[in-house]
Parts: sequence; C-alpha cells; structure tokens
Amino acid sequence: MPNPFQPLQSALRALVENAQVLPATGQAVVDMVTPDLEEIYDQRTTGEATVQTVWETDARSRYRSIQPIHRSEEHGFRYFIDGSARTYFIGTVLEQDRSTPVQVSQVGAAMVRREDDGRICLADSRRTILLTLEKSQVSESLWQALEQALAGVADYTLCDSATNNRYAEAMQLQESRPRGAHRANWHMRELETELAQSLSRTHKEWLVVDGSLGNEFETWRGAPIIGVAKTFRRDSRFELGTGPRARKLNLFGLLKDLQENQRTLVFPRNNEGKIVFWYVRLRPQKGLDYPLMGVVKVEMPNPDREPVDSQLVDRISGWLLAERSVTPYGRDGRWHAHLYPIYIAEQVIRSRFYSEEVLKSGIRWPFQVATRGMDT
Amino acid sequence: MTRQTSQPIGRGSATERDPNTAEKFKFWIRPGQMVNPFDIIAAEHFPAEGSGKSSYTFGLVTNIQHITDAAGHLANFISNDFGEEVDAAPQTPRQGANVAEAAVLSNSADIYMPVQNESRVYFADEDKIHLALGIDGIPQERRVPAGLIQMSNGTQAVAYLDRDFVLGPEAGHVNISGISGLATKTSYAMFLIQSLLQKDPKDEIAVILLNVKYDDLLRIHEPRALSQEEHKQWQQLGLKPDPWPSDRVHYLLPCGKHTQTTGRPNSFADPPPPHKVYAYALRETASKLDLLFSDIPDPGGTLGSVIGEIMSGIGGNEAAWRAVQTWDDLLTRPPLVQQGIPQRFHNIHPSSIGRFLRLLRRVVKTRQSGIFVSQLSNRMTTIEQEIGDIRSGHTYVVDIARLAPEEQTLVFGDVLRTVYGLYSGEALPFDDYEPPRKVIIFVDELNKYAPARGHGEPSPILEQVLDIAERGRSFGIILFAAQQFLSAVHDRVTGNSATKVLGRTDSAEINAGNYRFLDQDIRSHLTRLDKGELILSHPIYRQPVKIRFPRPPFRQGRAQK
Repeated sequence: MPNPFQPLQSALRALVENAQVLPATGQAVVDMVTPDLEEIYDQRTTGEATVQTVWETDARSRYRSIQPIHRSEEHGFRYFIDGSARTYFIGTVLEQDRSTPVQVSQVGAAMVRREDDGRICLADSRRTILLTLEKSQVSESLWQALEQALAGVADYTLCDSATNNRYAEAMQLQESRPRGAHRANWHMRELETELAQSLSRTHKEWLVVDGSLGNEFETWRGAPIIGVAKTFRRDSRFELGTGPRARKLNLFGLLKDLQENQRTLVFPRNNEGKIVFWYVRLRPQKGLDYPLMGVVKVEMPNPDREPVDSQLVDRISGWLLAERSVTPYGRDGRWHAHLYPIYIAEQVIRSRFYSEEVLKSGIRWPFQVATRGMDT
Repeated sequence: MTRQTSQPIGRGSATERDPNTAEKFKFWIRPGQMVNPFDIIAAEHFPAEGSGKSSYTFGLVTNIQHITDAAGHLANFISNDFGEEVDAAPQTPRQGANVAEAAVLSNSADIYMPVQNESRVYFADEDKIHLALGIDGIPQERRVPAGLIQMSNGTQAVAYLDRDFVLGPEAGHVNISGISGLATKTSYAMFLIQSLLQKDPKDEIAVILLNVKYDDLLRIHEPRALSQEEHKQWQQLGLKPDPWPSDRVHYLLPCGKHTQTTGRPNSFADPPPPHKVYAYALRETASKLDLLFSDIPDPGGTLGSVIGEIMSGIGGNEAAWRAVQTWDDLLTRPPLVQQGIPQRFHNIHPSSIGRFLRLLRRVVKTRQSGIFVSQLSNRMTTIEQEIGDIRSGHTYVVDIARLAPEEQTLVFGDVLRTVYGLYSGEALPFDDYEPPRKVIIFVDELNKYAPARGHGEPSPILEQVLDIAERGRSFGIILFAAQQFLSAVHDRVTGNSATKVLGRTDSAEINAGNYRFLDQDIRSHLTRLDKGELILSHPIYRQPVKIRFPRPPFRQGRAQK
C-alpha cells in the first residue's frame, strides 16, 4: 500500500525549507481535547442555563410515561449521523520569534440508514485530513507555500486554528495546541451538518444527530431531525410555575425522579424556543451508578417557536426508548445513553481512519533539508 | 451438472490478531449467503508472473464463526432490557458477520502468498474444484469416480481418485471407518469396487469379498429398484447402475453341520445364491493350522512348536503322520495321543501337547459350525482351490457370517495366504495360469484380524494382514478394509492405506491419534455426518473432502427384505 500521507510531504518540505522545525518527540503525539467536551460545548453554545417556561401543548405533569415504539409498529428514526476527529501533534514551526504547533487531524462523519428489517447500511460519509497551524504565527510566504503544496490534493485541507473555531472561542482557549484539536472537532461538526443537510429524505424519515444541535439548526425547516446528547450541561436550572406551587429544580433534582419509560416536559433552549429540548430515561436507575446515567437529552428544531405537540414528543420519545436494544455495553463507557446506530456510524468513520502506526510511519519530517537549512 | 456463479460470496479478511497465512485464510460472508463446511471456494489472488489475469487460491471451508461487536454475553443480556425482553426483535440488530475459515488447497498459478485482505471470494465451479483438489492432473484413463462433492450453492463435482494411487503402483489400499448401523461402510466399499471395475477397460481386476454380516453381499448379482434420483446420481458419476453380472460372481458358502444331509450351506442366505460349499478337512488345512490359533496367547512359543511339527509332518507326509487323516485322528491317535494320554513328541512336553489338543478340540469339535469335516466330498471345495484359480473380471464372495470367530480367522487367513501365494510363489513350469494383475480383497471388521498395538498379541493372521498391507501393493494385492474405529486397527495397516474414508464417528474416537491427519474442525464434523456422507482422504487431494455416493444397484440381502 502506498503511503497515504504522501501528499503531506511537500507541505512538510515547505515548512522545513522556510522555517525551523522542532519535531514532536517520538513522532506524532495524539492531542486530546478536554474531557467532558460535549458537556462543555453544550454549556457554552446553548445560552441561558436557567429555564423558566415549558414549551409543549400538554404541560400538566412534570414527567410523562411513554411506551417504547418498536420499528415494527412505527419506524421513525431512519438515519443516524456521527462524526469523529483525531488530532496528532507532529512538531513546532519556528519563524523569527514566532512559533506555531503543526497538527494533523483525521476528521470524518458518517451517516447510516436503517432498513425496515433493522439492518444498517451506509448512507453517506465524509473524510478529511487537516494540516493545522496558527496562520498568524507564520509568514505570508510560508502560508502560501503550504497552500500551494496542498492545492488540488483531494481530501487534504490546510487549516488555521484561529479562524472558524467556534468551540475554542466558546471555551475562550488561548493555547495553540488545544485550539488545533478543537478546530478539528468543529470541522467534524461542519461535516456532520453538511451530511445532514445534503441528504434528501421524506418527512417520515427522521434523522438523529449525535450530540447537541448547533444554533445553525434554529432555522431548520427541512425533513425532521433531532439531536440526542449522551452528556449535557449540568448547570441547567428549571424554575417552573409561579405562585406558591412554583418549583425550582436543578438538573439533578429534575432527573432523579425521572423513571424508566418516562420523559420530562419540553423546555425551550435559551428561553426562545427555536430549539426545544427534553430528557428521556432510557434505562432504569437501579442498574446504573447515578441518576444522570441512562438519560439522554433530546433537542429538536422549532423554527416557528410554537409550543410543540406533546403527542409528537411522546412518539419521538417512544422511538428512542425502543433504541435501548441493542447497546454497546463493554465497548463504550457511555453505553447507558448511547444509541446503537450512532455507535455504528462512529465505528464506520473510525474504521476508515488510518491507524496510529500508519500515521507515525507515513508522516516524517525531511530532516536532511532542515539540517542543511540550519547550517547555512 | 455444474452451476457456475460469478457472484462473490464474501471477501478475504486478515486482521492484526488473526492474519491469513499460506496455509489458512478467513473471509467474511455476504449477508444471506449460505456457506457450509467442506464447501470449496476460490479467492482472487495476485496474477501469475507476466499474466494480467488474477490467479485463484482455492480453499476448503473448515469452519464458520459468527462474530458480533458485543464485548461479552453481558452486553447482549443488557441489550435485551437487562434480560427482561425475550421475544421482540432488537430495534437495531447487533452488527455481526459470519466469518469462514478455509484451509488452502492450491493456487491456480502456484502462488502461495497468503490470501489478501478484501480479496473477492467465490464458490468454485466443477473445473475449479478439480483444479483445487489436484484432480485435473489425473489422466482421464486413471480417473475413478469416488463420489459426488455437493456444495451449498448446488454446484456438484465428481470426486475422482487416481487409479494408480488406489490399486498401485504409486500407492494402494483403502480403509473405511465409521460407526455401524448406517450401512455406509460396506455400501461405499462396494460402490468404489464397482466404479473400479467399470473403469477397468482391460478387465484386469479380480475381487474377493468376505461377507461378514447376514447375507449382505450374497445378492450382489440381483438388481434392486432404484429411484429416479438414484439413477441420476449414478449417471452424474458416469457409472452404470447395474448389479454384478451373475456369470462373473462366485459365491463360496461354508459347509454346515447338516449340509451333508440337507445340502444347505451354513449361510444366512435363504434361499442361497448359486454357490459352492467350502470346508476344511485336516489334510487340506494342515498348512494353515497356525491360523486357527491366532487368538491364543503363546508367549513361550510351545503352541507354535506343536503346530509347526504337525504342519511339517502332515505337509511332508512323514511316516509318523501317515495314519493321521482326519481331525479325529489328530485328536485321538498317535503320534500325539496314545490310549487317550498326550504323548511327548520331539521334545515337546506332554502337557503342551495336551494344551494344544484341548484347544484344537474346542475349535474343530465343540464349537465348530460344521466347516471342519473328516473328508471333503465331491460337492465340497476349498478356499485354496477356488481362490487359487481366480480370474480377472470375476468376483468371489466368501461367506463367513455364520462361522465361529476362530473359523472366520482361518478363512480370512486362508484367502490372504492363498492370494499372496499366487504372486509370491514360484510358477509351475507346466502351468500357463496367469493370476489377475490386481486383486482387491474386501473385509469388514478388520480390527478382529489386525488389532491395534497393545490390543492383542502378534499372531499369524496379523502377520498375514501386515504382509498384504506392506508388500501386497507391489504384487497388485489391494486390501479394502472397514472397521468401526480406525484406532482399533494396527497402525501399520492404516498407515499403509493411502486412501482413507471416514463416516460418522464417535466423538471420543475422533480424539485418537489416528485422526491427526485431519484438521481439528474437520474432525468435529465427523460426528455429524449423515447417512451416505463420507469424508474422503486421498493422496492426490490436498485436503479431505466430503462426498455423497449413490445406494447400491444390487440387493443387499437382509436389508432389502
């Protein structure tokens, strides 16, 4: 098999010919993003933590009992999207007194379709390799040389870690290396959104996106879509009702009494209602470690900002309850809230990534050029 | 006959922990595709040097696994609502695949690099099956149909044996094992013999069959009605479903206690087929006396000494033995007995003579079935006489079903010794008799005569069988033997048998060392074989194959009643 990272070599050569390079010790090093990333993204991108109103047609009870709706009764969820990003630090480029980390990211998203008999097949996928630097830290000529090296190379993208990086901005990150990793995550999010928007489907074919829906879905009027988040912000507070019977609950308080086969009321995001959300308990608390486990947060675009039909939310929640069979228990620590088709989509995209061995062997700095450059 | 399919059934799969090798490879199977152990498949491979066309690596499917992404059984339990859900189908069936393991048979361009990941895999058609097994290299005139290979996709191919590897000179002998009760071992031996006879244009094979059970082989000249399906199978194999020609079958049935008065032989066949009655009188048996005592332990060799004296005395017509004409004479008259008392003879102690006489009396008097007679009448014949005159293209059925075990050993040993003598003995100058170029001897329950080491003392009959097994091939004497358990037969006999056929086998038996030539997975399949299914191992084949064969076109005696 030819070196899949060969197209990067000319870009790396441009770097060592035009600047000094300090390679990463022990070849490429995985750059991890912050733990509980989804939770932080949710916290930083979904606005107000305090919810003061309910956004559905029948709001008589805080919890509503739901029956699982198997696909043989009504097959609502047809498509599932998940993405993955893996970032490697391969060195630092020094130019004058400026420096920037050089990172290579494998980013991808996959969409799978579930057939009537339950079988999963691949509907579409995207994959990109990002070469990420902080553009402001390199000269214009070097940046142009890099652009030129990757021009016309399919699936490779030169990327500035400082621009178009909503996650890093939301987290107010200053350090360059974490910004690079978050830039790759944002690119993954863009690929997921691109997949979701590119698919032509009917209004009976629902799409499930892994994680929180971005604000770009506030105006979504296409075929139905929901986001299902396994981990979500925990600082949410719910101030429900007025008068003597008004209740103030934190998230823990809301979810501890949420029983198996129940959902909560529907709430508006940021108190605007362009995106609404609710929680569904997929698995009983008795088999889990703490109350937030086994619960998913469901988000749905609501561009008209009208109260959502409670019957529809019940149906969606019923479909979700049916998803608890099968589970990736033993394969993923978040199994209690993981939807299996989402897990498969994740496996599809990860199986298409090059292994760390291939990446480490395939990406090599052309040292002899660098040495000659430094001697002169 | 062949159903060619160009649709791939899966693709090669090699992983970090489970790599493909030059000997074995794995492939995943397309959903909905049925593949079974013993299917022969072809995996696309590197093209031969200078050729743009892919070569094919052929494999024999030995096992199939179903794998899923479940980390453990607990994951499946939890997936079903913590064990509460036992009826409904999962909302999304767990990701799983059927992965087959195949043993490499050959490559069409002699490339033995491992099958590559993602290589397309197909069912082999009949030509490719022949290529895979090495049958394509057998010259047409040497091909002997040995059964039908049937694959999961309906493809059928004739499994041919190489005649030179069955009847010599390259290799020889056939050994058939399997539990009893499925009527498979004998039927298959008969099928294979018929196939050899029909594919013997020069008519140079003679056959000797020992009938050991009921009248199983005493109706082989009588036709049996075949179903359309059975006719078709015979046709597919390129063979005629005919019984033995009656003018070429000779039945030798034993003399019984009442044969001399009733004329009926001591046989299960009722009525008996056209036959000759054989018997043993002392004078005609003296040279085979040792065979009668094959099962008797003789650590000091005294019994052997007595027998040796008698054999040389009677055989050489020595003066002391001239008066000994019958079994009674031997038991009651000099030189061994005088006035009822065993006598010292040529330094053999009277007590040893006494022991010999007691044993002999038990065999030829007390327990005898009638085969031992005082004198042969004109209506009687001997095995030596009949087998000593065997002709090419003729079949001789020797019935021993109703004989006592010692008598069976004597007759079988007599057959072997006579045939061996035909080839190893010096030809008489006035005799223009030409023995057949090949003689096939078929016997069931071989373990009685050639038990495994540790299961019996070395004996005259064992030596006779070993002679045939080890040297018979060079003379053209070929042993077709059957038994329930391969492990119960002497390893020098089974080791010399180039073609091995295995029917359904007990699970305890398959772990015996004799089955090491089979892959562990194939061994396990032996316990599941159906009636009419056999595993065939032949020197030409790179791996054993599963075959089916048609039912015999002749009456099988009691089974048909």
